[in-house]
Amino acid sequence: MRGRPLLHTSYVSDQAIFNSGTKKVLVGLFLLILALMPLGVIPGLKWAATNSWMRVFGEVAVLLIAALGLNILTGLAGQVSLGHAFFMGIGAYTAAILGGPEGPLWGLGLPIWVWLPAAGAVAALVGVVIAPTSLRVRGLYLAIVTLGLVFIGEHLFRNFDFITGGSQSGRTFPPLELKLWKEEAPIVSFQTDGSWFGIELSSQAKMFYLLVAFAIVASLLAKNIQRSRAGRAFQSIRDRDIAAEITGVDEFRYKTLAFAISSGYAGVAGALFAAFVSRTIPEAFGLPLSVEVIAIVLIGGAGIVSGMVLGSLFVIVLPLIVQNLTEWLSDLARSGEGIVQSIADFFVATGTFDFGLISSLPGSSPGLNVFQFNQVLYGLLIVGFIIFEPLGLYGIWVRIRNYWKGWPFTY
Amino acid sequence: MTTLVDRREAPEAGVGYRTVAAMVREWAEQKPDGVAMREKEFGIWQEISWAQLWDQILNAAHGLLALGVSRGDRVSIHSEDRPEWVILDFATVAIRGITVGLYPTNPAPEVEYILGDAGSIVHLAEDQEQADKVIEVLDRLPSLKRIIHVEPRGFREYREDDSFFYWDDFIELGRSHRQENPGEVEQIMAEAEGDDVLTLIYTSGTTGPPKGAMCTNANVTYCLETVVNHPDRTGTDPISDDDILLTYLPLCHVAERIFSAWTMASNGPSLNFAESIETVQQNLREIQPTIFFSVPRIWEKIHATVLIKLNDATLLKKLVAKPSMAAARYIGRKRVERGGDFTPIAKIVYWVFNALFFRGLKERIGLRRCRYAASGAAPIAPEVLEFFMGLGVPVYELYGMTENTAVATTNFPGRAKVGTVGEPYDRSTLRIDEETGEIQTQHPGVFKGYWNKPEKTAETFTEDGWLKTGDVGQWVDGTHVKIVDRIKDIIITSGGKNISPSEIENSLKTSPYIKEAMVIGDGRKFVSALLAIEFDTVGDWATRRGIPYTTYRDLSEKPEVIELMQSIVDETNSKFARVESIKTFRMIPKELDHEDGELTATQKLKRASMAEMFGDLIDGMYGS
Repeated sequence: MRGRPLLHTSYVSDQAIFNSGTKKVLVGLFLLILALMPLGVIPGLKWAATNSWMRVFGEVAVLLIAALGLNILTGLAGQVSLGHAFFMGIGAYTAAILGGPEGPLWGLGLPIWVWLPAAGAVAALVGVVIAPTSLRVRGLYLAIVTLGLVFIGEHLFRNFDFITGGSQSGRTFPPLELKLWKEEAPIVSFQTDGSWFGIELSSQAKMFYLLVAFAIVASLLAKNIQRSRAGRAFQSIRDRDIAAEITGVDEFRYKTLAFAISSGYAGVAGALFAAFVSRTIPEAFGLPLSVEVIAIVLIGGAGIVSGMVLGSLFVIVLPLIVQNLTEWLSDLARSGEGIVQSIADFFVATGTFDFGLISSLPGSSPGLNVFQFNQVLYGLLIVGFIIFEPLGLYGIWVRIRNYWKGWPFTY
Repeated sequence: MTTLVDRREAPEAGVGYRTVAAMVREWAEQKPDGVAMREKEFGIWQEISWAQLWDQILNAAHGLLALGVSRGDRVSIHSEDRPEWVILDFATVAIRGITVGLYPTNPAPEVEYILGDAGSIVHLAEDQEQADKVIEVLDRLPSLKRIIHVEPRGFREYREDDSFFYWDDFIELGRSHRQENPGEVEQIMAEAEGDDVLTLIYTSGTTGPPKGAMCTNANVTYCLETVVNHPDRTGTDPISDDDILLTYLPLCHVAERIFSAWTMASNGPSLNFAESIETVQQNLREIQPTIFFSVPRIWEKIHATVLIKLNDATLLKKLVAKPSMAAARYIGRKRVERGGDFTPIAKIVYWVFNALFFRGLKERIGLRRCRYAASGAAPIAPEVLEFFMGLGVPVYELYGMTENTAVATTNFPGRAKVGTVGEPYDRSTLRIDEETGEIQTQHPGVFKGYWNKPEKTAETFTEDGWLKTGDVGQWVDGTHVKIVDRIKDIIITSGGKNISPSEIENSLKTSPYIKEAMVIGDGRKFVSALLAIEFDTVGDWATRRGIPYTTYRDLSEKPEVIELMQSIVDETNSKFARVESIKTFRMIPKELDHEDGELTATQKLKRASMAEMFGDLIDGMYGS
């Protein structure tokens, strides 16, 4: 029925992902911007087409996939997990064994269509093994168990240096390219500059397109899981596990499923992440990565797919802002005048015996370095969002939307 | 799905009188896939097409034949509004039976009375609750053979008892009967006559026991021609199959039957069933009906909800609401002066505030797409009509009664007079008695008489054959009719003054804080009143002022609440003459209820029983 958005005559319309014209237009516009951004043709967004920014947005897309996975476990099923980095590591090293170059370290040199699904599948299997602990321990205790997982994982990764290359040198991961089997020349390579359909593209832009495509598929999948029977079961377990069981939700089955899907996502994200950075050390899959993903989920809005997009953008772009701010402040502290300089000097350490809050100096100096400061900032933001805006950035949007939706009433 | 009704089951049969059932058959032939009904089930409005509806009606009609119902037999329906209500009703009409509707709130003794009086053979009880009311009195109803229930829950122990039928089994029975005797229903329909009684509508009975008014096919035809399809009715376009109706008032009431089931059959709009009376406001928002008929109680409730919600809005919204409501009052006043039309300035003001405020508000209350709204069945306060006119949803008051199939007067768009019930559809069909001031009607919509009550029927007609409505009215400007009151309700004080209590009561009820008011004074020295608070709004009011309360009674008797009531009474008194002013009042300590006998099924006060139940309160006021 036209002009009656609340009148649903079928579950299809009741559960539609894009249930209003505005949503369709907005999503279409967003996709159009994503498609045109690397070409540098959008006025005002030309800066984004540079290689360094393309790399940043590529990372956003990878972490978005990881966050969508954690969102299913934590946001939908309510099982707090700090172990996401561990599953990403499992995915990354599965990809390395299957797709990595043959050499001193394990590597079979298989193509992407083998190693990427396998990375997801192996991580999902490990998730299934871990899942039963969530039936024994809940809430904070589960968080601690999964925290333990990260440390066990890091220890194992470091010691299995015939796979991981160890802490010193790390290893190279399979390249992002499409091959049929082990032939020399790939069908499509995403890691070399070249032209597609007559348009010159840098390797960064090509990887951006690939990763964004994966992220879109992952988002649609996540949204569909959320509105399926399993998605409703997850949410009922989150809201009250006992009530869920009474209404016929098999807690064991659905918690296991949530773990499996979530770690499957993590495995894929981990493999893509490793391939994207191409070489990394086992410590990359440690606690800070878990915290980063948790931050995306909680800042974006737990349980909401579009919140993950906002969250991953925010969490990845935030360090860049901090870094630029630090540089700007240290410039100010060196060359500024009077009160401005004192304030800048208070925040930034510019010399060996300067006790500023953030140190812009290389090596160990007093104060926090930019990376550490970011970790502190994530912590503060997580606490702040949980207390003041439990639905995250998305919640802020919802409140703005509801204000106008309710017009002229408030409830 | 474009199969069905080419009437191949009985091709040789004629069409017979055009009953409401025959009209549905026509729709099923013309647009089989069009939506006839929607019912909300597990959050989804399930659609029923005309073809499916007619198929169900045929099955139900055959089912009734299989149960031994024949011409003139009574089939009673005791249910909330739902598709099965209409299906069984039309099925009964198709086989020339008589439908008897009961209010869902009817308690067991009234059910016993009505079923016994009508001599019902087949009874539909919606669920266990309604069935219990019949089972209780079953041995005193010798004619009742079968009870059909729509909800299967709670009927396990009756499964072996073949006087109980589950709806689906009943339809199945009809289906097999239809296979064995194809075309039998069509044959009976072909024999239908205008003089056939199609329903008994039991009057709510503010005084004695309910009486069953016999309504014939010809009455319905006349009613549809005038009330629904009068050329001046909806202003521009007649009701069509693009229109959308929402039904939620009891279907056994004549007004709801006309504006939902019968309008659906004759004009083809889709009929949407609200989930319950509690969810009407939510369902209104979802359905956004284009044609909406309601009773004053609901209009008052929507009005009160708007005022309270605006009061609770955040700062910016309040800042917009204030001038907007002032604009609505201005527009409302201008439109009332012009009989419902805009003045040029009012039109501009409306245009601005519609974009800014009214449109959102109408969307929230579910009247954004409403193009014709009406109020009837009880008197409505002019303030409420003015409010809705200001918003751009003109509500036209109309007047009628069961006995004349609701055909008496109406306000037409562009010629409306607030405070009157409008003009007669046809001037020659209505007169006001010179002597008593009683309104009388005579036209093809006037009923055949009361079921089994020839002497009561005779009392209702004048010697020259006009129907006595029992309402006192007067002409306004020679064209419009104003209702003063029910003849028997008019108060004559001991000083000999005639006072119309309902006018004063309605003025009191304009306040969102008063739900019911009963003005007393017949044969007394002065006028007094019993007041009942609206629990929600007064509760809200008390909470805002930090007045703690527990129950309805406790809240009613708070000194602050009595003060609030006093201020409303004072305001009302200022509008009336001195002799009519309320000298004192008392609070009714309980919520009035149909089951306790204080209200009729249509929420009208039963004055006699009220006077008895709250006699001590009344005596207290007059110090005897």
